[in-house]
Amino acid sequence: METRKIDTSDRELLITRKLNAPVQLVWEAWTDPEHIANWWGPDGFTNTITKMDMRPGGEWNLVMHGPDGTDFDNKSIFKEIVPFKRIVYEHVSYPYILATIEFEDLGEQTLLKWHMLFESAEEFLKVVKTYKADKGLEQNVAKLDVYLSKMK
Amino acid sequence: MIARRDVYQAIADPTRRTIIGMIAAQPQNVNAIAEKFDVTRQAISLHLKVLTDCGLVVVKKQGRDHFCEAQLDKLSEVSAWVDQYRQHWENKLDALEIYLDKLKKEKYGNKKD
Repeated sequence: METRKIDTSDRELLITRKLNAPVQLVWEAWTDPEHIANWWGPDGFTNTITKMDMRPGGEWNLVMHGPDGTDFDNKSIFKEIVPFKRIVYEHVSYPYILATIEFEDLGEQTLLKWHMLFESAEEFLKVVKTYKADKGLEQNVAKLDVYLSKMK
Repeated sequence: MIARRDVYQAIADPTRRTIIGMIAAQPQNVNAIAEKFDVTRQAISLHLKVLTDCGLVVVKKQGRDHFCEAQLDKLSEVSAWVDQYRQHWENKLDALEIYLDKLKKEKYGNKKD
């Protein structure tokens, strides 16, 4: 006897971060394909954005190029766009994720709330289990180093 | 094919998750658990066997009753994986943060307000 629960705690992830930039700039970095290609994706990957139609129903196609030359297609559909406030999109290629990104204007800073809802607890577990976190972390540190050296 | 017996398999099934929820607070009799579900007693036994094999449940015999006790320590393995996956997204935000700094420098140069 299974009752449908509204509780989604077993299949969601919420990441919040206070970013040291005004909301206009954060919005720009998020919504301009040229900018987003510079920071999106797992570590060690580069990105090509072939389409980013930021309006409800609009498509977003992003190809991540892995360090070993493998390409990963990511297709999403935007559901809601509220400039400088909110982006909702559905990641329709695997794994299915409903993502909601909220931007909170804090003057010189911006509070970003990134919520990801998976289709089911089963899918969520599958994704976290198969995710090669340690490898990704290693690559990210390298990427961070490169960024930092550029900034000097 | 060898059946996978780990904590993920244990909680991959909604019935098994419900069972864990039922016995998390206090151990329960196998019959009492089976009564709560619309499926056969055998089906519940099978679920309990998977849970036992995966180390999430221990069945203790008390007289004629078999009590199921949850072993919740095992679940921390799952949260460790979730934490690693979370870290992946935190990394994405790290990259965004670094990129924003770069953008700020490009836009506003080094001038001080």
